[in-house]
Amino acid sequence: MSIIIISSDSYPVGREIAMKTAKNLDYDFLGRESLAQIADNHTIEESKLIKAMDDGPSFLGMKKRVRNRCLAYIQEATLGALINANRVCQGLAAHLYVLGISHCLSVLVLADPEQILQQSASNKGISKKEAKKLIDRHNSFRRRWSMDAFDLDETDPSQYDLTISLSQIDADEAVKIISETITYRRFNPMTYSVKCLHDLELAARVRSALLESFPNVIVRANSGTLVVETAALKREKRKRAEAIKAVAGKIPGVEYVEVHVLNDIFRQAAESFR
Amino acid sequence: MAIITISRGSYSKGKEVAEKVAERLGYGCLSREVILEASDRYHIPEIKMIKAIHNAPTILERFNHSKQVFMAYYQSAFTQRVQKDNVIYHGLAGHLLLNEVPHVVKVRIIADLNDRIQSEMKRENITEQKAHDAILKDDEERRKWTQSLYGRDPWDSALYDLVIHIHKFTVADAVDYICQAAALEQFATTRESQQKMDDLTLVCQVKTALMESYPEISVTCEYGNVLVYTKAEEHIAHKLETKAKTLGQKIDGINHIEVHSRVPIPPNAI
Repeated sequence: MSIIIISSDSYPVGREIAMKTAKNLDYDFLGRESLAQIADNHTIEESKLIKAMDDGPSFLGMKKRVRNRCLAYIQEATLGALINANRVCQGLAAHLYVLGISHCLSVLVLADPEQILQQSASNKGISKKEAKKLIDRHNSFRRRWSMDAFDLDETDPSQYDLTISLSQIDADEAVKIISETITYRRFNPMTYSVKCLHDLELAARVRSALLESFPNVIVRANSGTLVVETAALKREKRKRAEAIKAVAGKIPGVEYVEVHVLNDIFRQAAESFR
Repeated sequence: MAIITISRGSYSKGKEVAEKVAERLGYGCLSREVILEASDRYHIPEIKMIKAIHNAPTILERFNHSKQVFMAYYQSAFTQRVQKDNVIYHGLAGHLLLNEVPHVVKVRIIADLNDRIQSEMKRENITEQKAHDAILKDDEERRKWTQSLYGRDPWDSALYDLVIHIHKFTVADAVDYICQAAALEQFATTRESQQKMDDLTLVCQVKTALMESYPEISVTCEYGNVLVYTKAEEHIAHKLETKAKTLGQKIDGINHIEVHSRVPIPPNAI
């Protein structure tokens, strides 16, 4: 039940490494193919899920509320899939939400910049200088995206256990390094790390169910006990807490729900000006 | 056989990793020795040298070029030490200088901030807040320093072949990874890669020889053919050329030396 999460500055490179690693270790590969199933389960278009993963925050783009919901669906399904099998996960931003799990190896693979530059220039029919600008823009966009969606900087190396650059180390060598690393004893699942993963999965499942009606909820789980944080006007506090308890209480695995309702100071200020 | 550079923050266990890699591979291990050698060779007090390579230059220092001169001394001593191969360097200012040399394994060791704070607290016997502030200040200083000298952020993973996070991984794991990488064919020293290293050493030597009188120069070298770039006026460039020509007899390995004034400086110039 070990987990490998592979992230890369280039989607095709990350995918290649992840698939090779999965094949090498005889693990299941979990990639963007799962988005079709997620879209089906939540009756949402698959293209919206892809857009939520690839598009950054912008004024004219996808609404933040819709995007957060899409990401919550992906998060819920990914965590669910990681629970019961040896998996190599790539392309689902799992490195940003599968945190604090000791049997999970998180690897950042950096593509050879020269190769990416050449590929980008020839694919788009532009000069190397223009391609470099595009790549830099894409990298800074990924940083903004991760900060906005998960409040984490995905370009920060401390988010990963290991970073491998393919400038000189070739892909097969990187696969070998990753495959050898996951066999270390510390990446074997332990009772506590499995419990932590179950808690994350339950919290993601509850959040995904709550997000439609309550867009700003924060959910934490600990062995079936949930703590849900939300903001509401003073007069709505009780009603909000009850509504959340009603929805969350029906979800399998939930034993007790505690709701913390904070004062929604922005709405309160807006109402006082009316 | 290769050169291994280990970039690290304070209390990141990079020193420990470097020493163990050196022990396992039978390589030389360098860090402070380069400072001592540079201060000895160029008659600069060690404390001044340490300050120059540890702290980012202030605005005033950028104008009077004092730090850049010390840095040139340091780089020259450093390249001459690593030129002969089979060496691990875990001090400041090394990895970015050797960026273009293929037989260099560039590694960065990082550790969790909390672990670093605990180590600083234990060593300095200070409060958690003070330790936190001291580590962040040190990181910021190194970041500014690297930015000012090479225009790069030392935290950028793209500068390294491997970035190892000492948290789930132990020092012994990091040693294994580095030794495994160093044994790869891609990092073996070839005639071409050694030539690049020799050229770089020559660049640093030429720059050191000219830097005191002409601080705003950039130097490149290919197969012993040295090009010195300056933005100075014609008459200064002429004086520089005269001085540069004399270096041919003083520094071994120079085939030819030329001074180019007021032309675009190549990005790989030092």
